[in-house]
Amino acid sequence: MTGIIFDVKEMAVHDGPGIRTTVFLKGCPLSCAWCHNPEGLSFEPQLMYKAVRCIDCKSCQRECNHPECQAFGRCIHSCPENCLEIAGREITPQELANDLKKSADVLGDSFGGFTFSGGEPLAQPEFLLQLIKELNNYNLCIETSGFAESDVFKEVIDKLDFVIMDIKLADTEIHKKYTGVDNDLILNNFKYLKQSGKPYVIRTPLIPNITDTKENLTAIKNIIGDSNWEQLPYNAAAGAKYKMLGMNYKL
Amino acid sequence: MNQTLYNYILNKKHHSHRHSVDWDLATEYSSKNLSPIERMSDRFTRLCEEEKAVILEGEQIVFLRTVSNLPAIFTDAEWKEINNKHYIHELGFMSNLSPNYYDTIATGLLSKRETADEYGKKAIDNIIKLSDKYLEEAKKQGRDDLVQVLSQVPRYPARNFREALQFFRILHFALWLEGNYHNTIGRFDKYMFPYLKADMEKGVYTQETALELLEDFFLSFNKDSDIYVGVQQGDNGQSMMLGGVDEDGNDVYNLLSELCLKASCNNKMIDPKINLRVSKNTPADRYTEATKLTRAGLGFPQYSNDDVVIPALEAMGYSHNDAVNYTVAACWEFIIPNVGADVANIAALSYPKAVDTALHNSLNKANTYEEFFGFVKTEIEKECNTICENINNLWFIPSPFMNVLMDCDIYTGGKYNNFGIHGTGIATAADSLAAIKKYVFEEKSISKDELIAAVDNNFENTPELLHKLRYESPKLGNNDDFVDSIATELLDTFGNALKGKTNCRGGIYRAGTGSAMYYLWHANEIGASADGRREKEPFGTNYSVSLFANVKGPVSVIASMTKQHFENAMNGGPLTLEFHQSIFADDDGIQKVGLLVKNFIDRGGHQLQLNTVNLDRMLDAQKHPENHRQLVVRIWGWSAYFVELDKEYQDHVIARQAYTV
Repeated sequence: MTGIIFDVKEMAVHDGPGIRTTVFLKGCPLSCAWCHNPEGLSFEPQLMYKAVRCIDCKSCQRECNHPECQAFGRCIHSCPENCLEIAGREITPQELANDLKKSADVLGDSFGGFTFSGGEPLAQPEFLLQLIKELNNYNLCIETSGFAESDVFKEVIDKLDFVIMDIKLADTEIHKKYTGVDNDLILNNFKYLKQSGKPYVIRTPLIPNITDTKENLTAIKNIIGDSNWEQLPYNAAAGAKYKMLGMNYKL
Repeated sequence: MNQTLYNYILNKKHHSHRHSVDWDLATEYSSKNLSPIERMSDRFTRLCEEEKAVILEGEQIVFLRTVSNLPAIFTDAEWKEINNKHYIHELGFMSNLSPNYYDTIATGLLSKRETADEYGKKAIDNIIKLSDKYLEEAKKQGRDDLVQVLSQVPRYPARNFREALQFFRILHFALWLEGNYHNTIGRFDKYMFPYLKADMEKGVYTQETALELLEDFFLSFNKDSDIYVGVQQGDNGQSMMLGGVDEDGNDVYNLLSELCLKASCNNKMIDPKINLRVSKNTPADRYTEATKLTRAGLGFPQYSNDDVVIPALEAMGYSHNDAVNYTVAACWEFIIPNVGADVANIAALSYPKAVDTALHNSLNKANTYEEFFGFVKTEIEKECNTICENINNLWFIPSPFMNVLMDCDIYTGGKYNNFGIHGTGIATAADSLAAIKKYVFEEKSISKDELIAAVDNNFENTPELLHKLRYESPKLGNNDDFVDSIATELLDTFGNALKGKTNCRGGIYRAGTGSAMYYLWHANEIGASADGRREKEPFGTNYSVSLFANVKGPVSVIASMTKQHFENAMNGGPLTLEFHQSIFADDDGIQKVGLLVKNFIDRGGHQLQLNTVNLDRMLDAQKHPENHRQLVVRIWGWSAYFVELDKEYQDHVIARQAYTV
């Protein structure tokens, strides 16, 4: 069995307690208009083209026989500036876990643990559960939209140490408009999380005039009650990667 | 902080008090046939006479350079002749020393005068005369506080913290005016704390008022520093060491150390350059405090690991009491205060050049990687022999006042007279060797001739090979033993190649992990390299990964760069880690960076320097320098204002960032 990831980030300081390593699983059932990791949306490998570095040498337009290049019509192994990169690496949970454990060994006692992010990590449940099993000696944390079947959500959450879950929009229609899905599953899963006794924090990205409205924030507050709540300021550079993927940033 | 004074200095208004002199001293001295020491002595006398006393409004620590240039003391012909007869290091001075300020501050210049030679006496008299000009000016301005201070120092011992700071300023000022450069500050919190402590006990200061005075003192290092130009502006060697153990193994870190970190953080100026000695015993919260200074974006503190440095210095022959007292030279070279006369930056080995020579001359003769590495080893040994053989008959321009401040006659020989040799481009060399090992010898996927031809053609017609070597090959910094172990072998080879050699001053040679400016110079000596580096592309600075290496992150870099045997190469030279500003956004991030530093130290790393960078700001500063006058970046061992650097240095700092998103 394999899963697909698009990044591993050491020294992730905003993804839970301690010095952590975060794994980004590729693919997400949501399509939030403000998503800053657009390469996490699709479950398929994608070509990323970093135009700012391109020196127009045309090396990538040469014919090549690499099987992985054929789908993209460009050679990804000849750019002198490394402008072309495939986002998306298929990997087995065992292989990934062995690689991840190396950074944990380096840090020893000061290692905080691993965080699963994405994309939506719960969208690859089998892979994620196997990965959790491989890493069960460590402090494990998830960053999730909460959008998953409730049995998947419960099974995963029960095995973790800490949960970072988004509640972006309280109104289900507006939620659907901006994220592509309604929030019934999310709110239902939140109810489970809240009573589970598992430590967690709720995050709301503050998107101007969409999620940062008084109505929305008040409604979220009503839902989450006295839960720990972080409001994340909008990152003006959030749209930076869309162009690299040939996608349009909607905001 | 005195904001008015701060802004006055920041806006360079004090430059209006400066003038230059056009004295042709060299011709005069030449016609009088004066000896070098007579010339140095006479120039100092004249400069002290020429200097005017300027006291700025609200200034607590005085002395300001008003003569902006130092006229030459040798004619061009004479200097040429001296260069023909002798090995001359840099500008000819014995720089990078850590003088014994404390002894003079504690006894007074009149007391030092009794044991000084005739030139030392003359220098002291001149300093006292110049100081008296300031005393008169203080009286004129009705500055009773200063009158009190300057009536005591520098003639007599400092009686309190303020007098001690003013005394230091006078001594340091005099060293620069004499013509010395890279005048380091040494273990400031060790020798200065007794004064602060006594005053605090008497209730003279609160922590706040002591900090305010210290900020004024720190500001004084920035008043004239634009005159102290090294290779680039900012390269002035005003490095201060904090923390570390004393002779009895006690932790020196004290209230003054804390206040120094704060003063540096508040002033946000590139001087003094803060260094911090740490060890396994250093508490975690101290790293947090130090990381707050890192967040300020000045490129310091730089950390040195007592657990690793002290035993290595002892193994090189430094006595225990001297080794525990180590500080750093202008950048990061380990030197001994008061008694050390090491020349810690006398030359540099280029690892990539050794690999390049072996690639061209010997790759085709090698049947195995081990054989090939043997050729590289021979090249490194040959180069070390050449470097050492070339340094003969070393001569320094004598500086009478510097000699007064040192505990031994440094010109006839200090207690230690060792030479430090930098090692440049270790990552470029290790990555190149890893590629050769993997593709040429193990996989046999690239032929020897193919690789040599591609390197010689600067990879012009082989884009796929370039991409593979550059981006898809093992790189130092990924916690990969395959390449990390090659770096270990290179460092061992370098250290061993210098072992047992005696230099022309009777000392030893010390191998180091620094690069200084050679990361640009040495890179231009060779063409492309087998790691996919194209011609003219620079190496990384100091003990760092290659500029274009795809590394997993700082944790893996730390793992890779702490595996080596630093006891074989302890001249100094840090690993540099760069962090985006956003990591320091909250206390949690700061604490985690501090933990990472602690981890580096606990793993046995020798020296570490962290940068806070903001790529967007640097790019904008190239376009609109006027908006970013205060943007500070770290170069190879010192911090500088970005907009004041030559473009090639700016570009290198930017290139270090290009591969992080």
